[in-house]
Amino acid sequence: MNDKAKSKAIKIIIYIFLILVAVIYIAPLLWVLMVSFKTNAEIFTSPFSLPESFYLENYSFAWTAGKLGAATLNSFIVCGITLILSMLIGSMAAFAISRLHFKLAKPCMTFFLLGMMIPVHCVMIPLFTRFAKLGLSNSLIGLIIPYLTFSLPTTIYIMTGFFESMPNELIESACIDGSSIYGIFFKIALPLSRTGLFVTGLMTFVANWNELLLAMVFISDETKKTLPVSLSKFVGPYNTNYSQMFAAIIIAIIPTIIVYCIFSNQIVDGLTAGAVKG
Amino acid sequence: MDKLLRDRKAITIFLAPALVLFVVVLFVPICQSVYYSFCDYKGLTAPEFIGLKNYKDLFKDKSMVFALKNSLFFLVFSCVAQLVMGLFLAALLTNIKKGRNLFKNIIYLPCVLSSTALGLLWMFIFSPKLGINQALEKFGVEGPLWLMDTSGFIILPMWVIAFVALWQYVGQSMMLYMAQISGISKSLYEASYIDGCNKPKSFIHITLPLIKPMVATAMSLNAIGSLKFFDLIYNMTEGGPNHRTEVLATHLYTQGFKYNKYGYASAIGVVLIILCLIVTGLINKFIKTENYEM
Amino acid sequence: MKKKLMAVILSVAMTAALLTGCGGKEDTPASGGGTEGTAEGGVQEITWMFWDDLNATEDLISKGYKETIDRFNADYEGKYHVTPITTNLEEYYPKLNALVASNETPDVFIVSPGPNLTVYVDPGVAAPLDDYLAADGWKDSFTSDAVFSQMTYDGQIYAVPLNIAAACAFYNTEMFETAGVAVPTTWDEMLDACEKLQAAGYTPITISAGTAWCLSMVAGYLCEMEGVDLAALEDGSASWEDGKMESAGAKLKELSQYFQKTAAGDTNDVATANFYNEEAAILIQGSWAIAQINGSNPDFESRCGVFQFPGVERIIAKSDSLAMSSTTKYPEACAALMKYFTDDISQKYTAEIGGKIPVTSVEYDASVAPAQLEYVMNVFGSAKGTFGFYNESMPSTEAGAFFDDEMVSVFLGDTTPADAAANMEDFYESNCR
Repeated sequence: MNDKAKSKAIKIIIYIFLILVAVIYIAPLLWVLMVSFKTNAEIFTSPFSLPESFYLENYSFAWTAGKLGAATLNSFIVCGITLILSMLIGSMAAFAISRLHFKLAKPCMTFFLLGMMIPVHCVMIPLFTRFAKLGLSNSLIGLIIPYLTFSLPTTIYIMTGFFESMPNELIESACIDGSSIYGIFFKIALPLSRTGLFVTGLMTFVANWNELLLAMVFISDETKKTLPVSLSKFVGPYNTNYSQMFAAIIIAIIPTIIVYCIFSNQIVDGLTAGAVKG
Repeated sequence: MDKLLRDRKAITIFLAPALVLFVVVLFVPICQSVYYSFCDYKGLTAPEFIGLKNYKDLFKDKSMVFALKNSLFFLVFSCVAQLVMGLFLAALLTNIKKGRNLFKNIIYLPCVLSSTALGLLWMFIFSPKLGINQALEKFGVEGPLWLMDTSGFIILPMWVIAFVALWQYVGQSMMLYMAQISGISKSLYEASYIDGCNKPKSFIHITLPLIKPMVATAMSLNAIGSLKFFDLIYNMTEGGPNHRTEVLATHLYTQGFKYNKYGYASAIGVVLIILCLIVTGLINKFIKTENYEM
Repeated sequence: MKKKLMAVILSVAMTAALLTGCGGKEDTPASGGGTEGTAEGGVQEITWMFWDDLNATEDLISKGYKETIDRFNADYEGKYHVTPITTNLEEYYPKLNALVASNETPDVFIVSPGPNLTVYVDPGVAAPLDDYLAADGWKDSFTSDAVFSQMTYDGQIYAVPLNIAAACAFYNTEMFETAGVAVPTTWDEMLDACEKLQAAGYTPITISAGTAWCLSMVAGYLCEMEGVDLAALEDGSASWEDGKMESAGAKLKELSQYFQKTAAGDTNDVATANFYNEEAAILIQGSWAIAQINGSNPDFESRCGVFQFPGVERIIAKSDSLAMSSTTKYPEACAALMKYFTDDISQKYTAEIGGKIPVTSVEYDASVAPAQLEYVMNVFGSAKGTFGFYNESMPSTEAGAFFDDEMVSVFLGDTTPADAAANMEDFYESNCR
């Protein structure tokens, strides 16, 4: 009896602690949401009160003049293309390494895995000067290429794992049916590793969606900036409009939050599965 | 069948795109980076070989000392704090039933959000005019200058940024440990309870040893992540005050792209690569990934 | 077979795109900048690069630039056309450098005089402008030849100023009255005034150390007071450790006891807001702040006075200037554009709406212009000369940033003034001489 009461007390303490943690996670986001409806003057006088009225101009300004609309679209284009290409190219390489027979498979894998350990910062300068000369420094393609390359190591690693766990019999029977190696890859291997593709796609997308440094260095044209860049530079030459900045922060994170709320379990489990394997 | 799987042409086609990308975007630029690090290169004129001067300058550069110190601080802090907090949260969450998913998803949420947005958000929260200090004032407490204080060996802004980083990324470590813990067979625990273990004890004697491989994985992820750390610092302090919160990545950015010292910045990049390789090597060596039967 | 073909094509295309880089070129439209303006129908296309987004800006001067651009394009329709390339202030120079490095230098670009301009004059990126200035009496329309002094290299002018902003002390006349303080003219009077303001319960000075160049403005004045000679320091005939910078640092420390409590963390905007929200009596800022002050609190205009930073004879001035690419295809179009920025309509706007000091002898309606402009003009007129912002008067932008940071350190108490001077000397010794 005593034990039961004790374990109940422990449960309550655990829940109180977890609720506190949850507050630390949610409160800042709610605060920004609240402040984003205030005027600039209101922010300074009473940062914590509820907004006197819903001042929606902040949002329309951030969306149009702050070019967040265009930036969101650019981010979508860049991340979408990178996602598709990295899944295709990555699983092609992974398939070769895991299923095809050649001597250099192991060294190839090591070479790709080295990419995981190298931060993008270290190749930024040569890439930037090279791309500037090629006219790629101010185009979305110039972003997609490095994003793609830096997404490949994880994709290849995870997909190799998936292909290796595929039963041999499937491939054998496909061979007997007269499939070409490309047929086996596209019709059997890829569809069977849908989970893997989902996991790697998710990781690639999240990482590139939030990438700031490369985008900041490579893109100077206002119309081609991605979301993190437009956001981090939401500042005028001599003054900052705070309320619009807050609205911009909300615009930037709301789509992610909505998608996350709907698919949270799949996303969390998918990303964790990716990291476990990666 | 064997013939089909040894088809050289097919192998080439499957590997070529990835290999070409790796060589052109990764391998060649790294070599170039190493070459530039021995050059006086300002971007507007061609690189000029100057030997080890950039590396000698690195030792004299005070900001570099700050950057190195802060990067190492982040490395140690994030490895330790993420391990402790991540494990702690994972242990708590595996022990409750109601609301486990909800708490898990809330804590994981910042991992998928843009660290630029979150960095700005926390910058405002810690700014003297807007956030926490205004709230503290209502209780008559004068808050410190969270992002500008410069006293102490590890200055307050670094702790603040480290806290925000922990806040943002602890969800990932937590999930990794949770995944591993949930894979441990129930019968092991039941056996230990019969042997007279209580929950904390069984955590130490069963859970901890069994999740050791995951510790290595999570730590490598944290270590590389913390060495690459850029977004949060750039948006919270931009390396200031007076370079005291500079890390290697921000220092590289400032030197390379603000002052156009491409050669010097490349030398910083080389240091960063070497650090990354050493750290992953060390982690994998010291935390051996023995797999126990579960 | 189809699949095989696809795979082959895909990898070949990827490789080709990477190796030649032409995959991206098609994606870079003409608006991306560059000198390759298409001469369709004889229209000379040029680009103009600027550090603020013309459509999103709330800065009045930037808005004026947009009007000038629109006016130019309308007036010269069918002959010249200019496309603006915009970034924001912080990214401006890296982006400009990127364009220069890829041979896409914008035809006309804004640049701050001083080391920033030198970067483009030395490798011949910026073109000398004397011939254009000499034609049609353009040069004579400027208030004096002195406005070109910071843009002149070996007797040749490389940039045209558009407006002048001066760093002044703005003050709250009401607070001064209540505290019984007169406008200070010497350093001792300044300290005395701050003491009295503090005794009257006001925060004497609002300043931003979070934005380093704001604090550096005051530091620049204090160095000037002590007689620091930047040119002599640069050629090595003087040393930072001769005690001048040390006593300037000591004075900064002395003055800092009158700063608002949050000065160390406040950004430029917050510091300025403290002033127009009447939480502090004195703001030391560039005259560009006038628009921000009056825009945020219109009632305050009548209570806002201006005085020259006490104890110095010269005044810190800064001008936005335009430089022309030496590789432009259409220098006439560029010169015509630059002239539009200094014509009467633009200059009138600069004074009446922008609140900055015009560079030409244009007549403007002082009653329309912000009240503070007149005070600034008076201060400017009675000063015995100008000098540049300290961080923009040093041999490199990095040296300027180093100075700013050292001064912030002195203010924060991290570094003693003597150590800061020693650090400056070291930096100059290894980087600037």
